[in-house]
Amino acid sequence: MNDYLLDIRDLKLAFKNYAGLVEVLHGISLNVRRGEKVALVGESGSGKSVTARIILGLLQELKSARISGSVHFEGQDLEALALRTRLALRGTKISMIFQDPTSSLNPVYTIGVQFNEVLRRGNPDISERDAEARAVALLKDVSIPEPERVLVSYPFQLSGGMNQRVMIAMALANEPSLLIADEPGTALDVTVQAQTLHLMRDLVERRGTSVLFISHNLGVVREFADRVYVIYKGRLVEHGETAELFHRPRHPYTRALMAAVPRITGGGIPTISETDAGFTDPMIDHGVAS
Amino acid sequence: MSPVVRLLVKRLSISIIVLIGVSMLIFTIARVIPGDPARIALGPNATTEQVEQLREKLHLNEPIWIQYGYFVRDFSRGDLGVSLYTNRPVTTDIAQFLPATLELVIVAGIFMIGFGIPLGIASARYRGKAADNIIRVVSLLGVSAPSFVWAVILMLLFAFFLPLFPIAGQISDTLTVPPRITGFLLVDSLLAGDIPAFLSAAHHIILPAFALALSGIGQAARLTRSNMVETYDKPYIEMAQSYGFPARRIANRYAFRPSLIPSLTIIGLDFAAMLGNAFLVEAVYAWPGLSRYGVQVILRKDLNAIVGTVLVISATFLIVNIIVDLLIAYINPRIRLAERGRP
Repeated sequence: MNDYLLDIRDLKLAFKNYAGLVEVLHGISLNVRRGEKVALVGESGSGKSVTARIILGLLQELKSARISGSVHFEGQDLEALALRTRLALRGTKISMIFQDPTSSLNPVYTIGVQFNEVLRRGNPDISERDAEARAVALLKDVSIPEPERVLVSYPFQLSGGMNQRVMIAMALANEPSLLIADEPGTALDVTVQAQTLHLMRDLVERRGTSVLFISHNLGVVREFADRVYVIYKGRLVEHGETAELFHRPRHPYTRALMAAVPRITGGGIPTISETDAGFTDPMIDHGVAS
Repeated sequence: MSPVVRLLVKRLSISIIVLIGVSMLIFTIARVIPGDPARIALGPNATTEQVEQLREKLHLNEPIWIQYGYFVRDFSRGDLGVSLYTNRPVTTDIAQFLPATLELVIVAGIFMIGFGIPLGIASARYRGKAADNIIRVVSLLGVSAPSFVWAVILMLLFAFFLPLFPIAGQISDTLTVPPRITGFLLVDSLLAGDIPAFLSAAHHIILPAFALALSGIGQAARLTRSNMVETYDKPYIEMAQSYGFPARRIANRYAFRPSLIPSLTIIGLDFAAMLGNAFLVEAVYAWPGLSRYGVQVILRKDLNAIVGTVLVISATFLIVNIIVDLLIAYINPRIRLAERGRP
């Protein structure tokens, strides 16, 4: 046995369409320890988000999806679990934060109503009053001033940053052991994104929540993650502790990815080739000091 | 002033303008179509003097705007004139026939919402599966055949071949009609505590109301389905799924309510359109309603009754639309809170 909270082995995903099978993931293996913040970095279409959705079991509902490999969570094989047990993990043990906070909250219900439902997932017997008190406390944790006012507001009445905080508070409301953050705050402007990421980091560190952080933003990943996996076209190409990987990127794709970040000091938008023979090199694992 | 009150005031004032326009239009049209109402009313044997006398009495020899002036004067006193067909004040006729039609249309509307929307929800939830396909075929049938065709088919199937329902009428002949209070038979029989009359009235209304509702049921199901399928692609549905809410709850709560907003307008229009479709359904089922009266007065070129009937139907149409607007404001916080929300 190992102490991994999340352990993905040789995960493959293909979509069946009229032309045949389109392979999206070519067997990826990654893991997250308890209390660890792990990032999965790659460009759009590389297979980051589908990985998150497979962990939650959202993709399995699609008829066209062909999935193989294993996902273990807290030592249990998720595929072997009954659907009911698996559903019960969502929103309680595993929760997720999405890219665009404002459109991820339901437009016709107040924050309070939506919060209440989330809390009820964790504790179906919670009373209205307790739920409200708990929601207020959680919103205070994400530094929302006047949480009572936010609870009676609709998402469209709040700013994107506020909604992002609400979403973080909701995701952590039932004290999950794993938080999946799928490009959190990409839809927000950079200053707000930075503030909410700080908040999120403080909260998960205080609670010891593990995070699988999915992003294309290397700067954010460097600040946030303990460990990084780089994914390219459905294959992991490099893995290592954040400092090590950023200090000595060895895989040609990782180097290209890092070179692609525009510098604030100028120099224009870097030109990188779309494909390169080296991008499909075998995975480089820096190993993890334990 | 709260946004809802403001909305109400705005809609009401627009409705009044629309009603004035409708009254001018129908007033003119009724008078310019060929045929002398006085001659039709008095019959072929009346003398020219008698016809001329009646024309004089009805101000038919005056220019049309003067006639409209008389109409406005009488209307402001709550007088719509006398029907040449029934020889009674038009207001009395309408008060007698309107409730039966409204009752039919309201029950049909309940069927439309009660069957159409749940079918649409089920169709969207099981999209692409057998249940969805069956519901789509059925609703297409409902939409594609007009209500009077359904009226005849349903009557044949469920009143003639399979006598589950009465063929025609509003209540069984053997029962005494309960005292008229609201004019709605279902309500009056309950008010009178007359359960057999209530059951008989309910039994009689099912087939015509269903025939009238079928196209609306199909329309409501298709609209609800397509709007909900669109909503299912929204990020907030994925978020609800990521929280593990049961599929039924996601359908009924998270996906349905945002999808209802665009459907509701059309459903409201359908509801009002049933007033017009009721003409033929009432004819098939010998339903003593306003639509049947409307047909009779149009055929007889009964000017006062035509204008009165059209005005009442337009007013009902407008009222239904106002109710729909208020409902939309109720379920769409963006409208309800328009003042305080961000633009």
